[in-house]
Amino acid sequence: MSRVEETLEQRSDRFERTALPFLDQLYSAALRLTRNPADAEDLVQETFVKAFAAFHQFEEGTNLKAWLYRILTNTYINIYRKKQREPQQHGVDEIEDWSLARAAEHTAAGLPSAETQALDHLPDSDVKDALAALPDDFRMAVYYADIEGFSYKEIAEIMGTPIGTVMSRLHRGRKSLQKALYAYALDRGVIRPPTQAEGAQA
Amino acid sequence: MSCGTPHDGCAKVIEAVYLYLDGEMDDADCAEVRSHLEDCVPCLREYGLEEDFKRLVARKCGCDPAPEELRSRVLTRLREVRVELATVEFRTD
Repeated sequence: MSRVEETLEQRSDRFERTALPFLDQLYSAALRLTRNPADAEDLVQETFVKAFAAFHQFEEGTNLKAWLYRILTNTYINIYRKKQREPQQHGVDEIEDWSLARAAEHTAAGLPSAETQALDHLPDSDVKDALAALPDDFRMAVYYADIEGFSYKEIAEIMGTPIGTVMSRLHRGRKSLQKALYAYALDRGVIRPPTQAEGAQA
Repeated sequence: MSCGTPHDGCAKVIEAVYLYLDGEMDDADCAEVRSHLEDCVPCLREYGLEEDFKRLVARKCGCDPAPEELRSRVLTRLREVRVELATVEFRTD
């Protein structure tokens, strides 16, 4: 049905009723994107302004949440990413090495299953810091999949990339995050380094 | 086939771990993976680790409620925008 008849006031009501409830979730995502609360607040506000201005183009019945996240992501890319100092794009080689190492460990003996449970003892801030340290594209792929529970197709739409790219970002992002968290856990003594004997086994 | 060591098919199953855990796999493939995991301890362990890890990230990074004043700030701004839009739409009429 065309919304030609909808008045600005009706559109505004509909927007406040359907889009505004995503404010907390969008703020959480914005915080992961911008990595600081002041920018996150500005990003959320700007996202809602852009979304409202384009709301007459939004087709009811389609995925409003994904649509809002797409606007959030694009707004971030256009405004904030440029002005922020990017984390060094190190890590890609490390990530590859880590993946290979994990694969090798699996074929040898698997990982000690206690380790992931031990990571539970890390403070939330360690996990958030480790996520924040990932390059943008990897960080957001992991965030959208694991925290927001978006499908690959939705993430592809939100990030404007093919599904294959989403999968590769997710893979690399998760492996990199795992590596970082194991390092945190070792530092904090939450897990112990592999012994000589375990090393020799692998 | 019941074993505690890696064997044929493990590489394929391990490669698909995220597709499985992210719910991106069709029913037939899911059934195939489950049947493999019933017999393969190393793959089951790897799937368990990845699943735990996914849950860990969700649990630790998911809850940052917006500051109270952000909602009213956004609402105020939206109403300003509405006035601006009303002016524009009035002019184009």
